[in-house]
Amino acid sequence: MQFLAYILRQTGKNLRQTWGTQVMTLLTVTLSVLIFAFFFLIYTNMIRASQRLGDDVRLIVYLDQEVTEQMRPGIEKKIREFGPVEKIVFVSRAEAFSRLSAQLDKEKDVLADLGPDFLPPSIEVYPLKNLHDLTKISQFSDFLLSLPHAAKVQSGSDWLRRFGYFTNLLRVVVLLSGGLLIITMTFIISYTLRLTVLSRQGELEILRLLGATSAYIRLPLLLEGMMQGFLGSSLGLTALYFLYQYIASRFSGPGFLRLFDFAFFPVELTGAILLAGVVLCTAGSLFSIRRFIRI
Amino acid sequence: MPRDASTDKPLVELVNVTKIYPPDIIALEDVSLRIYKGEILFLTGMSGAGKTTLIKLICCLENPTRGVIEVAGRDLSRISPAGVQRMRQKIGVAYQEFRLLEKQTVLQNIAMAMEVTYASTKAIHARVDELLALLNLSDKRDKLAGELSRGEQQRVALARAAANGPSLLLADEPTGNLDPVATELVINLFRHLNEKNGSTIVVATHDPSIYAETEHRVMMLSNGQLSAHPNRAPRQIDLFEA
Ligand SMILES: Nc1ncnc2c1ncn2[C@@H]1O[C@H](COP(=O)(O)OP(=O)(O)OP(=O)(O)O)[C@@H](O)[C@H]1O
Ligand SMILES: [Mg+2]
Repeated sequence: MQFLAYILRQTGKNLRQTWGTQVMTLLTVTLSVLIFAFFFLIYTNMIRASQRLGDDVRLIVYLDQEVTEQMRPGIEKKIREFGPVEKIVFVSRAEAFSRLSAQLDKEKDVLADLGPDFLPPSIEVYPLKNLHDLTKISQFSDFLLSLPHAAKVQSGSDWLRRFGYFTNLLRVVVLLSGGLLIITMTFIISYTLRLTVLSRQGELEILRLLGATSAYIRLPLLLEGMMQGFLGSSLGLTALYFLYQYIASRFSGPGFLRLFDFAFFPVELTGAILLAGVVLCTAGSLFSIRRFIRI
Repeated sequence: MPRDASTDKPLVELVNVTKIYPPDIIALEDVSLRIYKGEILFLTGMSGAGKTTLIKLICCLENPTRGVIEVAGRDLSRISPAGVQRMRQKIGVAYQEFRLLEKQTVLQNIAMAMEVTYASTKAIHARVDELLALLNLSDKRDKLAGELSRGEQQRVALARAAANGPSLLLADEPTGNLDPVATELVINLFRHLNEKNGSTIVVATHDPSIYAETEHRVMMLSNGQLSAHPNRAPRQIDLFEA
């Protein structure tokens, strides 16, 4: 118990002696965690969004002619011959028009001048969920274009492709900022610790002469790194949380964010980032304790 | 109180110890010495004779070039670094150059020695007050060590060495800066530690006044060689008493 009290008191002493540097270190750690976690948060949300988008991929075949009831089974059979599909929905001109006016709700007066025939009839093809591969989707859409009366196929694959590129780019950014995080944390911590050690060099020398054990000398320094990691990561994550709240409250509503259902990290992931921060800083302090203290 | 040297096991034993500082400064040459438990030993000799070197060897601050040193039956060359630290907690050393932290108070300086053994704060304060009273430094407790006079710093260094009630106290020139009154206080502290605590005490000094009338063993180093003191330097004492 006395042991613990000493270690804690010694840690407090160290922090007080170099508090200016300690604050800078804390800020650096906080900032690196914030930057990394920011990109990581966007990335995880993109991943989730692309999964959800992939779930409601559908191919819409616009037709230049209405399909009659009798023709439908034939077309359906043809499509299913190419590949298994979840479901096929035929949309007539009238149905398309009533859908649109339902969507417009109060502003449906704009449709008043347009006849119910201005929208083309279409076939909506919902592929099986496993058809997330972009090349397969474009093959499928090429095939659908070859159907009789097909005028145009809208697959959203261009959009998906761009989305995919963006996600990949973001992954690189996340990896880079993660690497940066590792480097800054271990380096800044070992740099700060070096300062602590230098500022206490005389004292450490005397302690050695008085028979201080290596635990007595090293544990406070290790604890210092650990605390920096814990505090810095907590502050960084808290800052990100408030940033997230701010953005969510500013841009909530039927916009981009609603579409993506932008969410904060789950508790486990938050804990994992925190833990990583602590581990990195502890590793940084271990590294410099080994280098600068020979007892 | 001298012990019967022949029956006791020595606390410190040097066997044919030679210490050569690079490049070729022979500080100690083929020194053999047994220091017994509960003994007070005076180590004299001129400046540069090797007194400090001998003390540094016993507390592992230097390693012998040749020979074996045993403390409490353990060969120092075979003790692990952790073992050395544990041993140092039981050996109090008052260094010739004090080695105090000038920017810390007297209390903090002395307390450090006890903190490394995880003593309780209460015990530390009690012990520091006791030692400061013995050395007539009670009013300096909260002064910075750097602001004290040399003689006061010397006594603080001694108090720190004595703080843990060490089984072995090595005092290197403990009265170099002291007047006769303070010297008397230091000698009383040694006696106190030796009698109450059973501490073994080694005093390196070239001040004949502190060993002139002692009944304890006095050894002399000259040019790195150890011998019994020739009749405790009667001529020097005559000089002082003349
Ligand atoms: N670290 C060192 N490197 C080189 N030579 C040293 C070192 N320390 C001591 N010496 C030399 O070893 C010899 C013995 O020195 P030591 O300090 O043991 O003498 P001393 O008896 O303590 O002298 P004093 O009474 O002046 O304190 C001296 O010649 C000294 O110059
Ligand atoms: Mg000396």
